[in-house]
Amino acid sequence: MALDTSSAPGASSLTPQAPDEKPSAPPVNILPSLIARIYSIAHPALLLALGATRFEAVVANPTKELLSTLPWLTLIQIFYVIVCLPPAGSTPSTETSASAPADGKSSPRSSGPSVAARHGKHGKRKQHANSWACIWSRLLPALLSLSLTFALATPVLTILLVLFGAPLTTHNSETVLCAAHMAVLSATALTYAHGLDRAVWNEVWGIARPADAVWGSALGTGLGAWFGAIPIPLDWDRPWQAFPITILVGAYIGYAVGSLLGRTPLVYGKRVNFTAEEVRETEKKIN
Amino acid sequence: MAFSSWATVIANLLVPVGILTFSSGFFPYKPLIPGLATFDETGENTTAPAVFDKVIFMVVDALRSDFVYSNDSGFLFTQNLIRSGAALPFTAYASAPTVTMPRLKAITTGSVPSFLDVILNIAESDTTSTLAYQDTWLAQLKATGGRLVMYGDDTWLKLFPGMFDRADGTTSFFVSDFTEVDHNVTRHVPNELAQDDWSALIMHYLGLDHIGHKAGPKSPFMIPKQHEMDSVVTEIYTAMQQQDHLQSTLFVLCGDHGMNEAGNHGGSSAGETSPALLFLSPKFEALGGRRESPVEPSDDMQYYRTVEQADIAPTLAGLLGIPIPLNSLGREEKKKKKKKKKKRSATDTETGSHRLQILYQNAEQLLNTLTTTFPGSKFDSDGTTSCSSEVLSGIEGAQCAWTRIQQLLSTRDESDDPYATAGPALLQFLRIAQEVMSRTASNYDVSRLTLGLLITGVAGLFVLPATYKECTRHRSSGMFLMLMIITCGMMMFASSYVEEEQQFWYWICSGWIVYLHIKSQSQSQSSANPILRNRFGPLIYWSDKCIILVFAITQRLLRRWNQTGQKFAAEPDIARTFFTRHPEIFWGLFIFTYVDAGRYLLRSIPITGILKFGALAPTVLAFTFKLHFVTSESPELLDGTFISQIMKEWPYSLSLVLHARLVFYGLAVVVLLALVGKRSTVPRAHDTIHEALHIFLMTQSRATNVPLFLLFRIQAGILSSMNLTGIEVTITTLIFQYMTFFAFGGSNAISSVDLASGYNGIDSYSVVLVGVLTFASNWAGPIWWASQSHRLRPKNPEQNPSALLTFYVAMSLVSVMAACTALRTHLFIWTVFSPKYLYSMAWATANHVAVNLLGEVIFSRSRS
Repeated sequence: MALDTSSAPGASSLTPQAPDEKPSAPPVNILPSLIARIYSIAHPALLLALGATRFEAVVANPTKELLSTLPWLTLIQIFYVIVCLPPAGSTPSTETSASAPADGKSSPRSSGPSVAARHGKHGKRKQHANSWACIWSRLLPALLSLSLTFALATPVLTILLVLFGAPLTTHNSETVLCAAHMAVLSATALTYAHGLDRAVWNEVWGIARPADAVWGSALGTGLGAWFGAIPIPLDWDRPWQAFPITILVGAYIGYAVGSLLGRTPLVYGKRVNFTAEEVRETEKKIN
Repeated sequence: MAFSSWATVIANLLVPVGILTFSSGFFPYKPLIPGLATFDETGENTTAPAVFDKVIFMVVDALRSDFVYSNDSGFLFTQNLIRSGAALPFTAYASAPTVTMPRLKAITTGSVPSFLDVILNIAESDTTSTLAYQDTWLAQLKATGGRLVMYGDDTWLKLFPGMFDRADGTTSFFVSDFTEVDHNVTRHVPNELAQDDWSALIMHYLGLDHIGHKAGPKSPFMIPKQHEMDSVVTEIYTAMQQQDHLQSTLFVLCGDHGMNEAGNHGGSSAGETSPALLFLSPKFEALGGRRESPVEPSDDMQYYRTVEQADIAPTLAGLLGIPIPLNSLGREEKKKKKKKKKKRSATDTETGSHRLQILYQNAEQLLNTLTTTFPGSKFDSDGTTSCSSEVLSGIEGAQCAWTRIQQLLSTRDESDDPYATAGPALLQFLRIAQEVMSRTASNYDVSRLTLGLLITGVAGLFVLPATYKECTRHRSSGMFLMLMIITCGMMMFASSYVEEEQQFWYWICSGWIVYLHIKSQSQSQSSANPILRNRFGPLIYWSDKCIILVFAITQRLLRRWNQTGQKFAAEPDIARTFFTRHPEIFWGLFIFTYVDAGRYLLRSIPITGILKFGALAPTVLAFTFKLHFVTSESPELLDGTFISQIMKEWPYSLSLVLHARLVFYGLAVVVLLALVGKRSTVPRAHDTIHEALHIFLMTQSRATNVPLFLLFRIQAGILSSMNLTGIEVTITTLIFQYMTFFAFGGSNAISSVDLASGYNGIDSYSVVLVGVLTFASNWAGPIWWASQSHRLRPKNPEQNPSALLTFYVAMSLVSVMAACTALRTHLFIWTVFSPKYLYSMAWATANHVAVNLLGEVIFSRSRS
């Protein structure tokens, strides 16, 4: 796996490759307010700590515990996206029009280079802190993203889990709940920040988003779940080796790691790109 | 280029050399003492007299402990005998490899069989495994003038050629036969019970094992079979009560090994290593050893007391009044001994000295074996000043214990109970000596192990430059390959990952699918043909996006087709569970697979006109052969389906052997036609050969695995639409070869070798032919993908993949060898790591050299 350095930062360097495609959304920044900055770092740690305290209960009764913790996880995630992330449609440069439409579909997306965006939003948003309108403008997309998470992302992740080897004939409730947890972890922030932007979701499907906290955590959740399958075949006969537990632990850890890694300057804005040279090479040969 | 191809050739020559060197150091040679044991060495004249003069030895293959002792057992009469005290129940620990021949060796010689016996167990014709010249309780009985009679599994006849006065062997070759094999034994029983000329009657029932292999321990056939076995016990026991000449007969009922939850055996799970062992005689009732029955197991499958299976030999020897077999490592059942003694004791002291004497006899016999194995060690009564009480294992421990015995015996008071003073010390010596000897069933030549490891490592180094070049050229694919090699190599050091290796391949395959998906997505974004996209618009768009889902679904089906390994082997899967419940779906897929195969063969055959339809002949023959095979091998698949109606009407004029030959000849003709075709149609020649191979591999696979070839076809179609680069094809092939091997039901346990199709078209044993056919039936998936890989490769002549493949094989061998060397004292070395090594040998020689490289040599010309 190689990170393509040429396309960093931002989406600007993607354009020569696909001239007819609409330029996709730039990586998402954590909101500049102090609370947002602090909480966005504390949030993964908080989730991990909460997960660690519930670990024993999950091992004892996965279905019950996963179901009862799901609302709490949802609340924490909602709080996180509202506090830390710009809602869909509120492109950083047009942040002054505070009542930015919450519906991601109708909002045309300007894709200024994110470097400029980072400068632009600083200071202007402070005016809107504590204003009710602002909170409402964030709560609405948050609720929308929630409904999408449960209505779309959970079934899709369930199917993916089964395709990756989760049992189909047994453990159905565990699989669905595991998918729900993973969906809340990964999809809430994605839908909140991007709405239903087709280009973005195309990139998500092709695992080609530029790295940021949102995409990093989503990718981390998936990768973590994949790596979480490793201890299952061991013959240790521990109760936590049962099906959804290691996967979920992997997903949570992956979420935390990805969320923190995605925003570090080293990887921010870069894309997962497996085919750095090969494509061009083969293209040359074909032509 | 020239250098790298030479390096590849040298590396591939070095790999077999490394394997041979390593094997010569790895597979142990166990010293055997020739000749029969006699009593005179013990010195003292008071030999314990025989308690019984005849033995009826009834082996029920795969008689797991719970089949007899648990609540839902069919052995009702036997349980009744346990309750009355006439039967002494044990669980006999059968150490791995839990396959019949080594276990019989353990039972009869009392020794721990060497691992080589496992291989010999498969190569049935081999005569080196014979026990004719070894000391067994059978030979001892024979030496005292007894006559031996044997009915059942012909393994006994191979082990003891010329030993039996009357015998009727049954072969365990057709596993689907549940009844005939056992009737063939039972019908002799009344006759033999009426005769009084034998001193040992041996019976070996196979039916229960066959049921296990076919349908597992929970099969509906299991309980009726247990009732049947129980009725044999009833018959024999009643005869023992009624007939005069059977008055002092010992009846032993035992299993040679158990079975796991899937009904297989060979490994070391609790189910496989815990067969039942019962000593029955009306005389035992007087001992008052009444026990509850049925009972709950104290541990996994452990009912009553657990003893070593190797203990059977000395116990029998003691009870029958014959010398203990020379190579025996077993300890006598002291408990039974004690009981027996109690019955016949005059005074307490006499009992003690008798018991002590039997133990001493046993100890001397073990000592003999020990000194032969460790010629350097000294076993004398003096010396050994550094004998601390902590050293209680290894050869030093044995020396210590022996010294202590000598001291105790020389200083003991005549008035004491001799057993009380020296008894514990003797028992301790026996335990240590048994441990030491069991371990030296494996004395390795470490220098050869290291040398073999080094040679294989050097082979890897030879192809390293070419591999490195290739990997740096395709950075991410190369990285993936390297990560795969490293993780796969690390896994070889963990026994449970070796047992569950299929999980790794399924796991890495899902990762690789995601990789291919990401790659194809970015490729389609950057290089998709805009005209094409405009014309077909959303259709192309969505099929582009979703084709990977189809691929993932087929992979998921493959994954669940056959559950294998250890931990999850008993869970429901498609081949065994789903298809038995829905036979009509299975037969639908089965027929469709053959129709598809015929269609492709027809399309690729290089002849035109009406003759073309001659190509259908091999397909039809292959289809009818498989049906024929299923009706005789696994008729339960046919139950209640429309096929069974057809098969009833089928004229069985052809024998299976001839039928199989016709299929093979037909396919050979197709291949010949392809080869003599015009030079310009070389790629098409490969297509034809691939289709012929497709049908051949279907013929060699289990019927329930036939629809897998349909999945392969779909996967190959999707892969070829992805325009993979050379290195990607190599990695895909590697992953799919290993994954499909496991998907067909293979595993790293010896027990999973499928022998059923190894004799297709063969009427007499031939090592080469049976070997090739068995390999093809077990490696059907890998062979198919090796052939398919040549069709997936891009047209332009790229770097030859041989270097990469050789590098992978060398590295995986190195890691397996390193694991076997480093963990050679591990508990599971003979059950997990050495079978893995054997499989690696097959992968490296047969699959890598014979299939991958040969195919590369033949077909690389067709691409350029």
